[in-house]
Amino acid sequence: MTERGKVTQISGSFRDPTSRVYRVPSSDGRGTTRVLRGLDAEMLAYHNTLVKVPFFTRLLDEGRVVGTTSPDATDEAVQDILNHGWAGVIEHEVIPFISYPYEWSFGMLRTAALLQLRVLEDALHDGWTMKDATPFNIQFIGSRPVFIDLPSFVPRNEGEAWVGYRQFCSCFLIPLMLRAYREVDHLPLMRSYIDGILPTEARKFFTGTALFRRGVASHVILPAMVENRIASRERDDAEAKTRTGKPQSRAMVLGLVQSLARLVRSLKIKMDHTDWSDYDRTHSYSDTEHDTKKAFVERAVAGATSPLVWDIGCNTGTFSEIAARHASYVLAIDGDHNAIEKLYQRQRKSDSSMIQPMVMNLANISPAQGWAGIERMALDGRRQPDIVLALALVHHIRMSANIPLDMFFDWLAEMGCEVVVEFVDRHDEMVIKLLTNKTEQYEDYNRDNFIAQARRHFVIKQSQQLKGGKREIFHLAPA
Amino acid sequence: MLNKNWLTFKLLFVYTLILMLLKPTLAYAYVDPGSGSVLVTTILGIIAGVIYTFRKFFYNLRAKIFGAKTPKDDRSLDD
Repeated sequence: MTERGKVTQISGSFRDPTSRVYRVPSSDGRGTTRVLRGLDAEMLAYHNTLVKVPFFTRLLDEGRVVGTTSPDATDEAVQDILNHGWAGVIEHEVIPFISYPYEWSFGMLRTAALLQLRVLEDALHDGWTMKDATPFNIQFIGSRPVFIDLPSFVPRNEGEAWVGYRQFCSCFLIPLMLRAYREVDHLPLMRSYIDGILPTEARKFFTGTALFRRGVASHVILPAMVENRIASRERDDAEAKTRTGKPQSRAMVLGLVQSLARLVRSLKIKMDHTDWSDYDRTHSYSDTEHDTKKAFVERAVAGATSPLVWDIGCNTGTFSEIAARHASYVLAIDGDHNAIEKLYQRQRKSDSSMIQPMVMNLANISPAQGWAGIERMALDGRRQPDIVLALALVHHIRMSANIPLDMFFDWLAEMGCEVVVEFVDRHDEMVIKLLTNKTEQYEDYNRDNFIAQARRHFVIKQSQQLKGGKREIFHLAPA
Repeated sequence: MLNKNWLTFKLLFVYTLILMLLKPTLAYAYVDPGSGSVLVTTILGIIAGVIYTFRKFFYNLRAKIFGAKTPKDDRSLDD
């Protein structure tokens, strides 16, 4: 991010030259108080028309497009942006926590795809179109997807094809089909193929009967054939051919968008039992002990004023839901896709949910990446939490991921906030299970060393034994 | 003499092979296979356009015969 006076340029918004997004950091530097967008002259003219078009006001009313207003031109932050050559400035509602498509479960990406198509279809009906179709233009507020990139909307020229089609397929449709038809984990692919999985690459995943699944021939095989043919014809000394295409009627574009929406709606995944997706029923606590743990967590979160909570290793979000009663926002992170999918499906029923689910392996968190390594932020480079919950996690960090205890606490301490952490002792049946077939016995993993490592950075505010001493829960504050 | 010629021929063959392998890789960065999506959207658009028109006609016809039952305009993102 680049400092520009009072405002800071958001690093992920430079690809479209017609606008740039800025934020006003909060006084403690941990969050964002305002989000503003500088528009060039052409985009400003489009925007002034757009706000009067019925489809756009309807989308705003429905909360499908990020809340947008025109700030006072004399405002200091606005002046700051205008001084950098932009013709106009608009203000957006602040997104509580930025997430990326490679952190969304199947259902989240599927809903985001339907939102993209909904917004485009509405625009087409009113004579507008969208110049791109990337999931980075969508953010989640709790479990509700919101379209954030207003300069995507442009008036449609007569006969204009949908230019975002290929991007939609690479970034939304293909990852969804890979998960639904081939049970391929689409998230690591999406993290690496930051601009989407191209048809030529996706083609290799679809073999045998998968070739005959709905949409594969049209949206993977056909584009891959065309692209491979172009690549083989034009790569030597051959000149590139101009491809303008035939004019496309609105019915053709609308028909394609609607058929894609029907296709996306038809994509489903099987939610088989995974280690964590059944955690609610299979956790190793008795009901009374579980209630004691819940009460401890609730007290810790209630002690802070409207905090942002990170529940790391949240499973299906039992404790995220408890934290949400007192927090302003809860980020519920787990590496198990189906556990997060289950949480999302439960949360999406409520539009006002302030729990944002996220799939991420905590031993390999989302890195800073994209252009110059700044375009997409690392998980711990975004808004910092006010409280971290790390419940029944540390034994996995130590024994499954082989992360030394001191390094785990070093990382937690970098957040500069309170932590509720649960220690699962060696004689707990879950630890015994983890150690059964391990040569390394992790002798450093014991209560004394756990407390010693915690005390390097934190003071223990409160602690409580659980499961007859097999587990202990600690409320830590930065030392 | 024959051996020398044979060696030159072999070297030429190897150079040609190396050039053949290298050249496409070097030039590949200038190819834009994405430009093919113009053709893809035209093909798919024609099919989709026919279906779209047919569906609209069918729903209108059904509305005329069975009353005001218009197609479900489902704005929900849920199923």
